[in-house]
Amino acid sequence: MVMSIAHRATGIANYAGSALLVLWLAAAAWGQEPLNVVNAIYGSWFGQLVLFLYSWSLIHHMLGGLKHFVWDFAEMMEPGQREMLSWATLVGSVVLTLLVWTIFVWVR
Amino acid sequence: MREQVITPQVIANPKSKYGNAKASTRHFITQRLSGAINIAFLGLLLFVVVQLAGQDRADMVATLGNAWIGVPLALLLVIVTVHMRNGMRDTLEDYFAGRSYQLLMMLNTVFCILIALVGVASIFKLVFWG
Repeated sequence: MVMSIAHRATGIANYAGSALLVLWLAAAAWGQEPLNVVNAIYGSWFGQLVLFLYSWSLIHHMLGGLKHFVWDFAEMMEPGQREMLSWATLVGSVVLTLLVWTIFVWVR
Repeated sequence: MREQVITPQVIANPKSKYGNAKASTRHFITQRLSGAINIAFLGLLLFVVVQLAGQDRADMVATLGNAWIGVPLALLLVIVTVHMRNGMRDTLEDYFAGRSYQLLMMLNTVFCILIALVGVASIFKLVFWG
């Protein structure tokens, strides 16, 4: 139940977040100066926080989608199993997000 | 797609018919298919962002200007917008009906087309004109 709401919420967050991606691409296409502005905003602590949450939202929504693929084959639907699967998507998304940021941003 | 207001009575009655059977099945399949393809989009996005986050325009032209990266990214972005519109439709169907649903659905379509157009135009600018 809660994870169904989370899937919808992250879906809507990704919907809005797509504007961030397109804004970055458009600034790059436009010229160096607009790109500098976008890079400064996205590179600020608040920008990085938003991008961190956006990346978690994307990963969580992807794992939630994979969970639905499993359920489409009528697997893992028993009580206990489905809760376990939902917890796996939550833990998995947090671990994956931290892994990506650790490898590609913080340690790099 | 939906004009009829769906009450608990409509749902409780097994003989009632609501929604568009054909379109709904198509939306379901579209959503699964585009969702699966979006996994590839996320992989490519991760690669592009790791390569280019905070980089100058010249670096973005160098990486995205490679047609083997830019063109697939543009194509996958279009599929993402299809998935976005479909997913938002699911949400709107749950909370709205009639005119307000149609209006919001139109805004949804406009937003998704805008994202696709600006995204593809920007990427193609980098790919074909530097």
